[in-house]
Amino acid sequence: MNNLPKLCCMLILILVGPLAQAHIASNGFLTLKVDGAQVSGAMELAIRDGELAVGLDHNSDGKVTWGELRSSQTALQSYVLGHLRLGGDAGQCRVGFSLVQVNERTDGSYLWLPFTADCGVRLERLSIDYRILDAEDPSHRGLLTLTANGTAQTAVLGGASASGGALALRQFELEHPSSWSAFSEYLRAGIGHIWSGIDHLLFLLSLLLPAVLLRRPNRWEAVPVAAPAFVNIVKVVTAFTLAHSITLSLAAFDVLRLPSRLTESVIAASIIVAALNNVFPRVTEGRWRIAFAFGLLHGFGFASVLAEMGLPQGARLVSLVAFNVGVEAGQLAVVLAVMPLAYLLRATAFYRRGVMPWGSSAIACLALVWFVHRAMP
Amino acid sequence: MSERISFAYAAVLLSAAWSSLAQADPYVPSGENAVLAELPAGTRYADVSARRLARARVDVAIPLAQFYIQQSRVSGDLRFLGYAEAVLAPWLEKNPPPPDVLVLQATLQQSRHEFTASLATLERAIAARPNDPQALLTRATVLRVLGRYPQADAACQAFSRVVEPRLGALCTQSLRGLRGDLEGAYSALRQVSPQGWLNAEKSWLYSELGEMAVRLGRDDDAQRWFQRDLTLVPTDFYVRGAYADLLLRQRRPAEALALLNGQERFEPLLLRIAIAQRQLHDPGHTQSRGRLRAAFAEETQRGEAVHRREQARFLLEVEDQAKLSLRVALENWTVQREPDDVLALINAANAAGSSAAAEPALNFVRAQGQYDARASL
Repeated sequence: MNNLPKLCCMLILILVGPLAQAHIASNGFLTLKVDGAQVSGAMELAIRDGELAVGLDHNSDGKVTWGELRSSQTALQSYVLGHLRLGGDAGQCRVGFSLVQVNERTDGSYLWLPFTADCGVRLERLSIDYRILDAEDPSHRGLLTLTANGTAQTAVLGGASASGGALALRQFELEHPSSWSAFSEYLRAGIGHIWSGIDHLLFLLSLLLPAVLLRRPNRWEAVPVAAPAFVNIVKVVTAFTLAHSITLSLAAFDVLRLPSRLTESVIAASIIVAALNNVFPRVTEGRWRIAFAFGLLHGFGFASVLAEMGLPQGARLVSLVAFNVGVEAGQLAVVLAVMPLAYLLRATAFYRRGVMPWGSSAIACLALVWFVHRAMP
Repeated sequence: MSERISFAYAAVLLSAAWSSLAQADPYVPSGENAVLAELPAGTRYADVSARRLARARVDVAIPLAQFYIQQSRVSGDLRFLGYAEAVLAPWLEKNPPPPDVLVLQATLQQSRHEFTASLATLERAIAARPNDPQALLTRATVLRVLGRYPQADAACQAFSRVVEPRLGALCTQSLRGLRGDLEGAYSALRQVSPQGWLNAEKSWLYSELGEMAVRLGRDDDAQRWFQRDLTLVPTDFYVRGAYADLLLRQRRPAEALALLNGQERFEPLLLRIAIAQRQLHDPGHTQSRGRLRAAFAEETQRGEAVHRREQARFLLEVEDQAKLSLRVALENWTVQREPDDVLALINAANAAGSSAAAEPALNFVRAQGQYDARASL
């Protein structure tokens, strides 16, 4: 009886206190991207979880350094090989790792193990057997992001030991979009890009603003009838479209690629040139040539968006055409909305002495800011 | 209109969830000696051997699991609960499991807010060992959180019969404070002399007194109790949070921020930091808000809802999303019914302009005769 209060005290030490727990439990992040029979991806684990799995703190000073992590690389890789299995229709995929890196998240540093997996045949579905930290921390979960053909799905993996192992193996059906759904998806992406990526529109508008005017020495004059304005607009839009379609296709099929910093900077520069040409006119006839020349570079800009989305296997051409049609439709909608207004206003001083010099200057300034941002890292 | 705002906000949360998953900007640290993580006690790979031993010997398993549960209390780190779970798992498969293991398992479930599961486990433990003080106290605590006061009282009475009277009184009086006699319970507990008690037991007493004083509207008293507790147990982040709430309510954000300095890794305290920063127009607010968003998104992705009360407050007091906050507060109310849960619900309902939504909570509070100066109850 004498011992009872003491025992009780020890136990109460555990009990008394908050119901609120502070930290989120252990999460690993598994990112997978499926391309045909190949899966590229990365397994990301908190450094602490890596320590628990294989022991990273070699000198036992309670700290894990980059040197220690790097020298544990092989151990980590074989741990992941043993606790994470990917499988396709031809059985287990063969996994090969690249060098370990580090990623910062809100709750600290994570080790980042990139890998590629060869699954033999084109994947229709992917099975994932996730048992990482299963024995060490049953509350560990793997948060999966699986991307296939431009569609991402997420899932929570792990927790197998709690369910007697039943939950470890999971099957994921991979989306294989029909040609039509790919078409509409890429069509929408094209429209979306032209409207959100305002730089292409500003370039085009800068070239189109003077289309309803004629240049006389030292002043702008309204075109008397609609026909020449219309012809101007069609020429510029067609030249721009033709040019960026050419380079977009070349880039999409990996014939020609330019570094994105270069293209993004030149796109900004092209807006400056087009806008300044309205303030200090140099090229007054045949602006379609500017549209064509710089349009080639804008095409590479579109291509980088497309590269991020990835072109679906088997629907590459359809998707490319769809994206391009989307871009054209988006820009045509803007042209149809703005140019009739410009035509109506063309004779006003507001348009000729306000919009032309000052609107164009504003565009040039904005583009200059972009240029500085893009050209200088 | 506000529906639309909520929808937009849901989109923001989704994209936060997405970016917390997709967040990947891995890098190679600059030097071999760059420290990536410091390992808390009990998280070393070397400890794995102790865990292996715990599989064979229950006299190793129980103190090890206790150690991990305590570490999770002190550090607020949910990973430790996973470690404890791993240690207990093989013993729970025994038929019947050792009662101590059941009690620890129930504590673990309670810490994860799995209240129903915790009660079921406790029932088995108490059936095997009717006078186990830890089991009885855990039962009283869980029932109290659930608002099942008559049953909680019975558990407290049973607890009182097996421990020293002062501890028993602490259990029964704090319950009485929720059942219509706050004033009487407060003065009864003030008579209790904690002489000869362990720090953890004193801390229990002071935190109950502090919370009672808050509900009585005696903020000066409450502040003294909280300070006394924190001097004794600086790691008591539950009381630190309650103290911070008091300061924030009194519009003393600078003092709250000083109190919480260096506690960012505890999400419930980070929430108070974000609120204080907001009151102070502190530029650090954006970062705190981003970290909280990511943390709640990860929790949601895992399908867990340990922090619903905090999430409701976050939505209301940081994100200005009254309607969403109300939804979360209502969900929270179906799970737990402490005075802070009532408060979160009333505040959300009032801000959302639908005070009727708090009616179930108000009925409960009226039926119990519960008084809370903060909600003018």
